[in-house]
Amino acid sequence: MEEQQIRDFVHRASTDETLRKELASNADAVIVREGFSPRVARIITRLIPYLSVERELEVSFGWWVF
Amino acid sequence: MVENVRTPASPFAVQQALLAEQLQRLLADLYPELRADVLLALQAPGKLLSTLVTPADSHDDERHLAPVLPAGVWPLLTLLLAQYLAPESDPLPACRVALAVECFICALDLLDDVEDGDTTAIIEVTGIPRVLNVSTTLLALAQKAILSLTDCGVAPEHVLSLLDTLQAASLTATAGQHQDLLAEQKPVEAFDQETCMAIAAGKAGALMRLACLLGAICAGASEQLCEQCATLGELLGIAHQLDNDCHDLSAALYRDATPGQRVKTDLQRGKKTLPVVLAAAARKTALQEQTAQADEKIQENERRALREGILATWGLCLLYRERARDCLQEIAASCSRPTPPALRLLLRL
Repeated sequence: MEEQQIRDFVHRASTDETLRKELASNADAVIVREGFSPRVARIITRLIPYLSVERELEVSFGWWVF
Repeated sequence: MVENVRTPASPFAVQQALLAEQLQRLLADLYPELRADVLLALQAPGKLLSTLVTPADSHDDERHLAPVLPAGVWPLLTLLLAQYLAPESDPLPACRVALAVECFICALDLLDDVEDGDTTAIIEVTGIPRVLNVSTTLLALAQKAILSLTDCGVAPEHVLSLLDTLQAASLTATAGQHQDLLAEQKPVEAFDQETCMAIAAGKAGALMRLACLLGAICAGASEQLCEQCATLGELLGIAHQLDNDCHDLSAALYRDATPGQRVKTDLQRGKKTLPVVLAAAARKTALQEQTAQADEKIQENERRALREGILATWGLCLLYRERARDCLQEIAASCSRPTPPALRLLLRL
């Protein structure tokens, strides 16, 4: 369920320019409107800088990646 | 800039010193030239006897926090968890079990590098036949480390339980690895999120599950607490695998891959990692929506699909870390003890 919510939202943000603009201007309102659980909301919040604009991803949690 | 991690400032210094000393004892009886090659394997980045670490240029953002690679992250996980669950116990048995984890993971890492055709430092120096023999030696040492617990007065049934857990994880991990290897020969369309997650659970998930479960068994934890620790390890292992896969594909998307880099070999070998599978699904959807497209538009869609695959996977990685965080809190509640800062730091939770 949570997995699907995250995938669906990423897909929508990736393909819908209006949503990307909303995320760039008022991300909090989008998160409230979508009705995410607190856990999913925290994750989406982390993704928003990368969903709203083309920004290089620097995914890594440090020493567990080698 | 490089640093030796065994400085007084390291929060893991005491455990690292104990583990390193016990490891030297475990290796003492090996045939000298074999011992030299085994030491080389155990000096690779992240391994217990490594001394060189990544630059300590930490930033505020979590993704850049404390990039210093502690020596022996895997055995530290087992040892710190055992000490957390049974703080009054003699650390020696837990230390030996942690060394079994180090040897076992190191052996599988060597096999993985050979199977993936990666050119690592030890492969360059010694060649594949010797690396394979080192791997066999490390697997034997992992069992020897656990069997040596009888010297510390550990009950034979407890030793058997630890060996049985190691054996079960070994079979799960080799099954996961086999699925991963077979995936290279199958089209990307044959994979979905569930299949990729099952492979991640079978590989990194099974290994981190083992490291945590052995720590709990060693501490004499209850069945419920052992299962909670095993779950914690599996969640962290899956998150680790997803993070790794995102990192590799992200590097390919934003930079020209340097020859010999892992990212290139992974892509060349046709690894069906989750971001690759999700990107392929997004690309397929885009193609179905617009049948006639200019080359420029097709390229843009492909790039967008890759980004979507990486971001969705990273989101799932964060989800598994959130679940791991919750699991750690449940463990703290079960043992009525707060999580020690060193363990929290090691887990990055």
